[in-house]
Amino acid sequence: MSQPALNGMSDDRNREIQDLIDLLKRNNLAEIEVEHGGFRIRLRREAVSLQLPSPTWEPMAPGLESSAEPQAGSPSGDASPGMVTVRSPIVGTFYRSPAPDADPYVEEGDQVKKGQVLCIVEAMKLMNEIEAEVDGRIVKILAESTKPVEYAQPLFLIDPTPAS
Amino acid sequence: MFKKILIANRGEIALRIIRACRELGIKTVAIHSEVDAKSLHVRAADERVCVGPAEDALSYRNIPNVLSAAEITGAEAIHPGYGFLSENAHFAEVCESIGVKFIGPTSENIAVMGDKAKAREILGRRGLPVLPGSPGELQNEAQALEAARKIGFPVIIKASAGGGGRGMRVVNKEEDLARAFQAAQAEAKSTFGNDGVYLERYFLEPRHIEVQVLADERGRVVFLGERDCSVQRRYQKLVEETPSPAVDERLRREMGRVAVEAVKAVHYRNAGTIEFLLDKDQNFYFMEVNARIQVEHPVTEMITGIDLIKEQIRIARGLPLAYRQQDIRLTGHSFECRINAECPEKFTPCPGLVTRYHPPGGFGVRVDSAMESNCTVVPHYDSLIAKLITHGRNREESMARMRRALDEFVIEGIKTTIPLHRRIFNDAEFQKGRVSTSFLERFLANHSQGNS
Repeated sequence: MSQPALNGMSDDRNREIQDLIDLLKRNNLAEIEVEHGGFRIRLRREAVSLQLPSPTWEPMAPGLESSAEPQAGSPSGDASPGMVTVRSPIVGTFYRSPAPDADPYVEEGDQVKKGQVLCIVEAMKLMNEIEAEVDGRIVKILAESTKPVEYAQPLFLIDPTPAS
Repeated sequence: MFKKILIANRGEIALRIIRACRELGIKTVAIHSEVDAKSLHVRAADERVCVGPAEDALSYRNIPNVLSAAEITGAEAIHPGYGFLSENAHFAEVCESIGVKFIGPTSENIAVMGDKAKAREILGRRGLPVLPGSPGELQNEAQALEAARKIGFPVIIKASAGGGGRGMRVVNKEEDLARAFQAAQAEAKSTFGNDGVYLERYFLEPRHIEVQVLADERGRVVFLGERDCSVQRRYQKLVEETPSPAVDERLRREMGRVAVEAVKAVHYRNAGTIEFLLDKDQNFYFMEVNARIQVEHPVTEMITGIDLIKEQIRIARGLPLAYRQQDIRLTGHSFECRINAECPEKFTPCPGLVTRYHPPGGFGVRVDSAMESNCTVVPHYDSLIAKLITHGRNREESMARMRRALDEFVIEGIKTTIPLHRRIFNDAEFQKGRVSTSFLERFLANHSQGNS
């Protein structure tokens, strides 16, 4: 949640509001209203996402098909045409570096060669090195190191056009 | 109790297991292939992991990915459902070795029961009634001929690794045996990767009767009555009922006793089904053990009031059975119709978009399905899309209820076996309970004649 702009208010009041925002966040409240000294403020959070499982099953929207649309080679998110998405070939845990204290294999902006190791996906204690399928530049790293990844989850976005 | 269970299946059985977990307060992890990402079992679970592309060998049967999914989500146990990895001894063994509880029999149980010839041999040695047949696998034609002469024709040659009607050959006379033996071996080799075959007496009009058992990890075993699954087409069951119209109290006790003995003989654990053939003279013979929960388990639940999936989970957790044999009461009569996405005349699969789905309801009606309006039946998997189950005080009421529920069932956009079930439930022979495994073949032949 980004900080709301609080122009034209005293530092004290600013701090007071900031405290209220923290209170709201810390207790996962949806709304808070305070009134004192002729000043009234109501703070509301758009959606309280607690990462809790949905208690009920979302009904299928009319016209929406239940089977997934075939993914036409483009990653989820902001893929530009011509980009190559590197997807996880297996279910496992994503690591950007060969060891906890080692440097990452690649950073955003790096030029990579076809066959170069980009990351590790660990499954059942086995380290599976994932290689670049094309020459190109790493435009974006789409997964977070040490976090689980599922099959076909986008990991990297590579721009295969040769650097000029 | 387990805190989190991964369900290594899809469709109605995955949803069935998720429902049981919810009632037990257990978190669930669904796995899915890319084409199933939006299906109901995925949305019903607390967490979900995509494990591969549409082909089941690369997704639902992909052992490394399924186990990794359990690992990254912290699931303590895996329920395999039926099909896919449910009777894969290697999978059960790997689960055991990495400390994830496999909800089902032990890997050893699965291995023994998966080898049909070996299972027969073990139970035969125990003096249990196995179908008259070759003592074990047949090495050559001469052995086959010797065994067939001893038993008497007709005989059936079956693949040791087979199941579901595949790799079987009926032989009516001696001169056909050599060719059938070679063909069965070749088919077994190509279908199952193992050319082991054995031979049994072939009965012309038997009933398929199976006994449900539950065995806890301390070795206590109960049986939960029988199921009559005689209405089949090419060994695929279409209608199941319990109690069987052909089984009286004395026969039920006797089949139950044999089933419990069979289970104890191999130290079997968790839920299992012992399949028997019942001949016209009320002789029954052991066929095989299904080491998994079965599609037709709901009819048993309806007349016993016991939730078999919850029992499987409790047993896997090491809890003892909470009742004894004398506590089991069979109440009323239950039927199940398997609703498949198939053309009801030719049985060709009929996948596609379901434009409207409205399941029946009311007293004594249960529908196990992961269907909904605007869902798509994908062509990659089993054609079973719904199970319609009724319960009534007696066979007549349960049948009337099924006819009523079949008429209420609306599935538009694809063809299903609902019209076939309507005709079966209006058939005079079926209504009298006079069916054998050849009933449906004859029924279909009569109907196609009547139509032309």
